[in-house]
Amino acid sequence: MANDVRDNDMGLISDMKQKIEEIERLVFELKDLGRGMPVVEKNVRSILSFTHVLRFGISDLVEGSDVKGG
Amino acid sequence: MITCGESSEMPARLMDYWNPFLETLPRERLVEIELKNFHEVLWYAKEKSAFYRKKFEGIDPEDLKTREDIKGVPLTDKEDLRIAQEREAPTIYGDILGVDLKEVSDFRQTSGTTGKPVYVPETYESWQWRVEVWCHILWMAGFRETDRVFIPFGYNVYVAFWEGHYAAEKLGCEVVPGGALDTRGRINKMMELKATALMNTPTYGLHMAEVAKKMGVDPKEVGIKRMQCAGEPLPKATHTMLEEAWGAEVYDHIGGTEPCAWAAMCGERNGLHIMEPFFLVEILDMETLSREVEEGELGVAVVTPLGRDSFPLVRFNTQDVVRRGRDGCPCGRTSMMITEVAGRADDLKKIRGVLFTPVSVEEIIRKEFSGIIEYEIVVKKKGIMDEITLKVEPQEEMGADAMAELTARLTERLKMKTNLRFNIQHAKPGELPRYPLKSKRFKDLRGT
Repeated sequence: MANDVRDNDMGLISDMKQKIEEIERLVFELKDLGRGMPVVEKNVRSILSFTHVLRFGISDLVEGSDVKGG
Repeated sequence: MITCGESSEMPARLMDYWNPFLETLPRERLVEIELKNFHEVLWYAKEKSAFYRKKFEGIDPEDLKTREDIKGVPLTDKEDLRIAQEREAPTIYGDILGVDLKEVSDFRQTSGTTGKPVYVPETYESWQWRVEVWCHILWMAGFRETDRVFIPFGYNVYVAFWEGHYAAEKLGCEVVPGGALDTRGRINKMMELKATALMNTPTYGLHMAEVAKKMGVDPKEVGIKRMQCAGEPLPKATHTMLEEAWGAEVYDHIGGTEPCAWAAMCGERNGLHIMEPFFLVEILDMETLSREVEEGELGVAVVTPLGRDSFPLVRFNTQDVVRRGRDGCPCGRTSMMITEVAGRADDLKKIRGVLFTPVSVEEIIRKEFSGIIEYEIVVKKKGIMDEITLKVEPQEEMGADAMAELTARLTERLKMKTNLRFNIQHAKPGELPRYPLKSKRFKDLRGT
């Protein structure tokens, strides 16, 4: 089971890592557009908290990735 | 309204795990990720936390290449945190804080069982990281979106049930906060709402079962399918007692307010998985705290959380004494296991020259003396000698002969297990205190 997941899915993890990066890029763009508006800034902060969790659980698993936990 | 529809489309093999990729990674990759993240945490702590800047003066994170190298980094004790928070500092968190105070969104504190409580700050981001750890824990314990989860407490400033609440919500469960009710009210509410899952301390799980029986309700009929325990050790005998009382699967975890929950039980219910790579956990020999123990050995858990900015914690000495198990499990997860939580190093007391841990008494009582519903251990000085008293409370009134027989059996079994002679006293039913959160059944009055 574990081997099955490892062998077949590294490509999928890489794809997900890319999407997580895209989300972060878009969210930062949104933050720039909505600078000074609490509704944007606070919700952007929430979204980035969840991408932090996704980076930890998905992006960091890609071999050779720049692991960031802290 | 956004609907994802992910559950029905996801292949069954992926649904066994909260994060199938992470939980089945080869061990060497887990270790690699943990080491890289440890470096990040060390750099971060040195840069952002005055406490660690002083503590790690002269330590270059770049010199630490292996798990062995990490042993050169000083441990952090709870007492260090207390002292740091007692000193005059810009914030109530002392000089440990790793972020601007304005970034802190949650205040929690330790229970204060072993001294002055430690204050623990979380940012929104670090809180979500803790919640994610708990998502793993609850998913492993079989919590799903079809569960209605009852949490029979007012959570106050104590972290575990908050984490459980938010994680269950994130899983899609329906969460019912059960504070502001007495125990009877909670049992009635669970039945009224047809709750399917519970989170509680082991002590309170037993107490609720006791109260349900007094109400004429068989706890099995309440309908609880699974129970996640928190806040106290769960010896095997207590685990069995809870499963039998509630007719439910009972799950354990270990953790603390400072580091978060760092190991938990899977569906095999045979040992705890260390939550890798969220934490770098070392299980060190109890004498020198310098050598990682081998499989089957007892050691003290030293834990570094690897994803929190608000309260950097490096090589935190949890004082939890655990037995190291094998790596991996029939469930497919590859993380390191622990097979036993033997107690806390700071609970180990020398009584008449003998090392004693209160968990040994709980094991005997829960396993062999089902007629005892509650107990309390008190150690005092009598002259120059230590005197240890065990006060036991039976489920029902007992006659003199039955009490004498119970005293004789208990004395003999405790002597065999602990090598200590206990003075046995009998309490009336309902006389001893009940504890909804952490129990305080052991009182060492020798210094008072």
